[in-house]
Amino acid sequence: MFNPKGQIVKKLLWLILCFVALPAAGAALDGTEILKKVDRNLEPESYEAYRQLIDIQPDGSKKESVLYTMKKGRDKVVALFLAPPSDKGRVTLRDGDNMWLYMPDVGRAIRITSLQSVTGSVFNNADIMRIDYGAEYNVEATEEDTAGYVLSLKAKTGEVAYDKLKMWVDKQLLLPVTIECYAASGLLIKTLRFSNIKDFGGGIKRPATLTTDSPLQKGYQSIMQWSGLKNATFPDEYFTLNYLPRIAELRK
Amino acid sequence: MTPLRKLRGLWPLVFLVAAAGAQAAEEYSFDASAYEKKPFEFGGYVELKQEHFDLNRSGAFYKLNNFNQPQRNDLDRTTGTLQLTGKLRPGIGTFDFRTNSNLQRDQLSHDHDNSIYEAAYSIRPSPGFTAEAGKRSLKWGKGYAWNPIGFVERVKDPNDPQLAREGFVMADADWIASPGGDLQTVAFTPVLLPVSSDVNSDFGSTGHLNPAAKLYLLYRDTDIDFAWQGKGSRPARYGMDFSRNLTSNFEIHGEWARILQTTRQVTDSAGRVTTSVGDATSYLLGLRYLTEVDTTYIVEYYRNGTGYSEDESRQFYELVDAAFTTGNNTLLQKALSLSRGSYGRPNSGRDYLYFRAQQKDALGIVYFQAAVTAMMNWQDRSYQVTPEVSYTGINNLELRLKVFILQGGSFTDFGEKANSRKIELNARYYF
Repeated sequence: MFNPKGQIVKKLLWLILCFVALPAAGAALDGTEILKKVDRNLEPESYEAYRQLIDIQPDGSKKESVLYTMKKGRDKVVALFLAPPSDKGRVTLRDGDNMWLYMPDVGRAIRITSLQSVTGSVFNNADIMRIDYGAEYNVEATEEDTAGYVLSLKAKTGEVAYDKLKMWVDKQLLLPVTIECYAASGLLIKTLRFSNIKDFGGGIKRPATLTTDSPLQKGYQSIMQWSGLKNATFPDEYFTLNYLPRIAELRK
Repeated sequence: MTPLRKLRGLWPLVFLVAAAGAQAAEEYSFDASAYEKKPFEFGGYVELKQEHFDLNRSGAFYKLNNFNQPQRNDLDRTTGTLQLTGKLRPGIGTFDFRTNSNLQRDQLSHDHDNSIYEAAYSIRPSPGFTAEAGKRSLKWGKGYAWNPIGFVERVKDPNDPQLAREGFVMADADWIASPGGDLQTVAFTPVLLPVSSDVNSDFGSTGHLNPAAKLYLLYRDTDIDFAWQGKGSRPARYGMDFSRNLTSNFEIHGEWARILQTTRQVTDSAGRVTTSVGDATSYLLGLRYLTEVDTTYIVEYYRNGTGYSEDESRQFYELVDAAFTTGNNTLLQKALSLSRGSYGRPNSGRDYLYFRAQQKDALGIVYFQAAVTAMMNWQDRSYQVTPEVSYTGINNLELRLKVFILQGGSFTDFGEKANSRKIELNARYYF
């Protein structure tokens, strides 16, 4: 028996279903696009910034470092230590997979690795001289719900510090909330937690604080705080070994 | 349920933990304005070093160094060091300096020394070009313990390779370009180093303006340097080095240098000195490896082209032995004179092997580092082993304890040194 009322209800249900499903399909979200946006929302492609690293030991004692950082393009970063006095003048340089450390006493740069930490912090060199996530990782899978996205990232090469990342991304801001970093063995190396969203001006609104801890260093915590983050352009020459002793002169 | 679906279910926890982290972090505030560039910057460190030497009374260098002195079995030395660094930014350039002052006292003598390690004015007319003049300590080469291509610098102490060294008065420039592609960076560093009776007199013979240059390339992720120094106060020389990461935690490096027409003095056990002139080739091969548990291994092999073979060194030690056994003054003066020259260099042998293992956060203590260094004269198999611990957990304070253990038979490199053991404790405070 024909039931016009039932047909209308059926059509309405379809319509509602389409309305619900369409955005999700549209968001069938290309994880790579999300990651690209996360990268740009975190920092401009080229920028300068000051960062403070606070390393907290289980007994509550702290060590603080201050760095001036310049980044150019997807994979060039230089960081100059301004404090503490024992580290002042040290410079780390990253050009793609290459990393160097310049120490004023030693007077020349030596190659370092991404997993080391020049500060003795839970943050390692890869965290301190981080380049775009998209430059180092491919998106393997993307999940979405009302709260946000969960990206599963896999390192493009064996040179990258962490083999896999699980990144929870805030859906509205398209900024990371939490990142879990895993070794190739599946071991959780550390967890990065972003907080304290701040407007830096110039259209840059991002977390000003990054906190990390590691099951491998129980009881220790490290905090990274941003200040003075702004768009900037630099010549390529600044990101070379010969320039490292003179990086301090580039600050305004 | 896929692993990602499981993770998605963790969202509430993610926000909760992130919020807790934020609360903890909010206790800290950071304002970068305190770190803006200033027209004058000043810093440095003060260090107190206490050394205890077990003297090797049968060693050739003990006998030579303590000739006509009261004889002792051990010696305690205290050294205070003040190193000041600073930057002054007048006009378009920058003036920077590093001074070093030592005050040293032991049972035999006391001494003091004030040196300007570096003091130079530099200008940077364009991002890719810098010119500077003054006293500068240039460090060339990739070796950790030795640098065969360190043509315009004072010799590195392999017992403390990271120690700042005094520079030479020079004029130098840096031209840098980034062509892109496989050749990521090109940098050219020309140097002019004058030598007179008043300036750089310990570099070599006086009355020369010594030219030198280095060309650096970053080519396909490999650091490559070509270095050259023209004939002048020292014989002409050229060389190259390289450094490359094979994997992110495994680096290899090497250096090669050739000195042209260098003069070499070799003695026999009777004190007859033969002088020969010829080319000498030195080279170094090394690696640096970092394990997953933060242990760093450094291994280097050094071929010292101007060094002495086991037999040549033995002849010298036999000469010293004969001089002191017989009391023959002519032999004694000859031995003393040779010991002040190339036989008395810190590593006068021909082949050396260097090994260092250092453990970060040793015994699970953050900022505590344990290390052991071994250096062996490969020809006579004498060696030195140096266990070491250091702690940097107190703000701006660095504490370090090192023990040097020298081992070798008679007429060997480390067996004839002036001491057989050394304990060194130092505390350095940065400001």
